[in-house]
Amino acid sequence: MSDETLNLTLRVWRQDNSDSEGEFRDYKLSGVSTHMSFLEMLDVLNEQLIEAGEMPVAFDHDCREGICGMCSLMINGQAHGPDNATTTCQLHMRRFQDGDTIVIEPWRAAAFPVLRDLVVDRSAFDRIIQSGGYVSTNTGNAPDGNAIPIPGKVQEVAMDAAACIGCGACVAACKNASAMLFVSAKVSQLAVLPQGHAERTGRVLNMVAQMDEEGFGHCTNTSECEAACPAEISVSNIARLNREYVRATLVNRD
Amino acid sequence: MDIVYKTLGLPAELLSKVPGIGPIVKACCTSVGQKILMAITGLSLVGFLVVHLGGNFNLFAGEAAFNGYAEKLHSLGPLLAIAETKLFAIFALHLGLALSTRAMSARARKSGYEKTESKQSGFLIPNGGAANMMFITGLILGGYVVLHVLDMKINIWKFDAGESKYALVRMVLRDPLHWGVYLVALIALGIHLSHGISSAFQTLGISHPRWNKILRFLSVALAWLIAGGFMSLLVWAYAFEAR
Repeated sequence: MSDETLNLTLRVWRQDNSDSEGEFRDYKLSGVSTHMSFLEMLDVLNEQLIEAGEMPVAFDHDCREGICGMCSLMINGQAHGPDNATTTCQLHMRRFQDGDTIVIEPWRAAAFPVLRDLVVDRSAFDRIIQSGGYVSTNTGNAPDGNAIPIPGKVQEVAMDAAACIGCGACVAACKNASAMLFVSAKVSQLAVLPQGHAERTGRVLNMVAQMDEEGFGHCTNTSECEAACPAEISVSNIARLNREYVRATLVNRD
Repeated sequence: MDIVYKTLGLPAELLSKVPGIGPIVKACCTSVGQKILMAITGLSLVGFLVVHLGGNFNLFAGEAAFNGYAEKLHSLGPLLAIAETKLFAIFALHLGLALSTRAMSARARKSGYEKTESKQSGFLIPNGGAANMMFITGLILGGYVVLHVLDMKINIWKFDAGESKYALVRMVLRDPLHWGVYLVALIALGIHLSHGISSAFQTLGISHPRWNKILRFLSVALAWLIAGGFMSLLVWAYAFEAR
């Protein structure tokens, strides 16, 4: 691996708060190591801004190892940057060329208002989870490992859906700002397991109602969400969400 | 704008209060419900296209065969009127849902991105392919349907075809301007259906890793078979002698 350094122009969205207008500002950053992660590069930018007496760029981050779902960023028009199945924190500067201009924007969706600079409020996702993305039956003590037999293939479907880290890249990448992939993953992970069956009907109805209430768009099956998803959630979950929804509408007794 | 949505949504709002069907109507109004209705109406229209194309193939058999077919259709009388009304209702619903879902996504993202780039690969057409052309191709088809009815049912341009529907079809299709407009509409139809049919299956929850690829292939093949079938009539009008 080469020890090159990059000279970059960063075109960053700056916005003081959710009420202010916001604008792009260009920053020159030189001597960026190709070994840096994208967020480390932003840390270096912020050091430079602080020294110059300017407000540092606000951006979301936490674990920086691709599992917490906090980091976001639309990088050159792609959610989480150019790599597939990768979060922004796992993106490295070796993916860029010397002299590049990198456009950095926050997620854009009416349901994800910008709080400051690149930080958006994703609590709409939390409210969707609160509306049904849980199992409320009392499970008592930890059961014996094989007490509830679940076929391996079914368990795999549930685990693949449960890989969703709730980062919102699906919404950001979707031309309709639809949260269908997120909601479908959260519905699927419980719907296919016996523990989730008891509340299966109410769950999907409530979660879809909350999704609409939050003001997310509809699904045109463009599959941009699947391509942007760092956890590789499949759009087959959206098909399952639709099936669950039809079933729930027909059998619901409430 | 909100007042427009509220007014347009009023019938659905009132229906959702009717006991019995209320919950179903309510479900049909959600983002998922609207798409499911979109898929059902879309596939119904595909069904109509297949039947319509089958009927049109009588043109190849000659004047007597086609006019006989047209007469048989018209002899159905009230049955035909009911079928046409139903067809119009399905078409209107499909169009209305398109406007409604489009408004939903317009509200879902008020300010756009400075730059967007797809992470999907393998598209014949850049920027998402047919999936991103549904609205524009749909509008073209909506306009085309109006023109087509004016042409063939009302004969608004007064083509001198007498009583023969066969002669009328030939005259319309041999008119260069019509020929061009029909070709554009049929290309739009192929694009619209190449996403629409497979998308409808996904929306209706018909998805399985084992069948998805073949289903998608068959959907696109059917789309272009239908569009190609109608295009063959454009070739017929010019290249074949009247029989």
